[in-house]
Amino acid sequence: MDVEDRDMLIERVPVTGLYQICESSVDGIQNMSVADLDASRYHIDKFLSNHTVYEILPESGRVVVLDFAMPIKRAFHVLHEQGIPLAPLWDSDRQQFVGMLTPSDFISIIMEIGSQRALISEEELETHTIAAWKAEKYRLLDSAQRRVPFQYVGPDDTLKDAVKKLLHYHVTTVPVLYFAEGEGERPHILHLATLSSILSCLCRYFQHSLDLLPLLKHPVGSLPLGTWQNPSNGRLVVLGASMPFSTALRVLDQARVSSIPIVDENGSLIDVYAKSDITALAKDSIYAHVQLDQLSVEQALQLVHNGGLSGAAPVLRCQMCLRTDTLQHIMERLAMPGVRRVVCVEAGSKRVEGIITLSDVFKFLLF
Amino acid sequence: MDGTGLESSDAPLSPETSYDNPFPKVEDESKEPPSVPPHLLQRSLLNAQQDEWDSYVSKPPHVLLNHLYIENGEIAKSVLALGLTHRYRAKYVTVVLYKPIPR
Repeated sequence: MDVEDRDMLIERVPVTGLYQICESSVDGIQNMSVADLDASRYHIDKFLSNHTVYEILPESGRVVVLDFAMPIKRAFHVLHEQGIPLAPLWDSDRQQFVGMLTPSDFISIIMEIGSQRALISEEELETHTIAAWKAEKYRLLDSAQRRVPFQYVGPDDTLKDAVKKLLHYHVTTVPVLYFAEGEGERPHILHLATLSSILSCLCRYFQHSLDLLPLLKHPVGSLPLGTWQNPSNGRLVVLGASMPFSTALRVLDQARVSSIPIVDENGSLIDVYAKSDITALAKDSIYAHVQLDQLSVEQALQLVHNGGLSGAAPVLRCQMCLRTDTLQHIMERLAMPGVRRVVCVEAGSKRVEGIITLSDVFKFLLF
Repeated sequence: MDGTGLESSDAPLSPETSYDNPFPKVEDESKEPPSVPPHLLQRSLLNAQQDEWDSYVSKPPHVLLNHLYIENGEIAKSVLALGLTHRYRAKYVTVVLYKPIPR
């Protein structure tokens, strides 16, 4: 990755007793029967293929949509007030949904503001619209051929299609749109589908027939999923609480991770800073007034806790588990709305050993 | 019934004399419009404080469906919030669109 090692406090945890972790293939599994894996995957695949996105819609749901022509600054504040990390974008001229405004966008914008402080005036910030920002961003992505067309699912698509889309495009959320007959190309939005809601549907479905999924009884430390400390490949990134916030932003942007565990001087886990926490900076327009390299990670976390309007209650923010906890335990935690990752810690010292995210679990459970 | 059944079921035209209402005068326009029925004000579509679990359970009152709600000035004077709750099959969706007000 591009961030230099001396900027980060990377934990090197002794790995005695930890199995070799491979990404996706079955080869790395030891002490686990392949029959358990296949049987569980078969039942999960059957469930996902036979159930549709309509089933994960809440009985009474709510979606916040932003107009594409809205100034970015206002958009930031709206998301913060509503306690949501992202929103679909509606282009009134074209009567179409054209994309999503996500925390990654805010991180890029804040980093740009930081570096070009003198060049962007307050009024420009007020009027710079989402459309203008996205146009700039697409120009850059197009030249690097990294641009992805707008993705969505329909209510009658299978859950398996939805999961594959979410995993393939590395996104947390995909809008559920339907096109009414007789209204041509104009879409209606029903819901924002996430891996979390699909997982909770899956857990509810299997809650009385867990014998069908023997895989879930295995301790998570013995399974090839998640990101762990590995002496030869320190892919797990953690940051000390006293590090400057600008480092955290750089890591989130460049390492393409969605969250960073934050540790104290002993390496014990104190919190997790996630990309979606960025909207806390909208409160009182802090992002505009404070130099980000003078803000520490600890202070940024304090802003999130003070925000109070963020969707997840404090206890949900930093889910911890042990390497010996079962996969079922982890899945139940991840199925809670607002939880996207579980940090695996050493018992007692709370030193970080690994992270398991929703996408890790789904990649592992699918064939 | 013979083939003219459809024509005979058309409503008769209004009598000529009913077209002689006077034009509304300016004083008519100074009257307040009728007040909003109170049952439409039961819920605020902008209320984000609802627990996510709650919203899975509570159906919106059906009288609210397909009514457009407008709320402005909450965030800033230049942003308008439009909200609508409608039914999709057996589920309800509330969509809130935030639009900038052009100066």
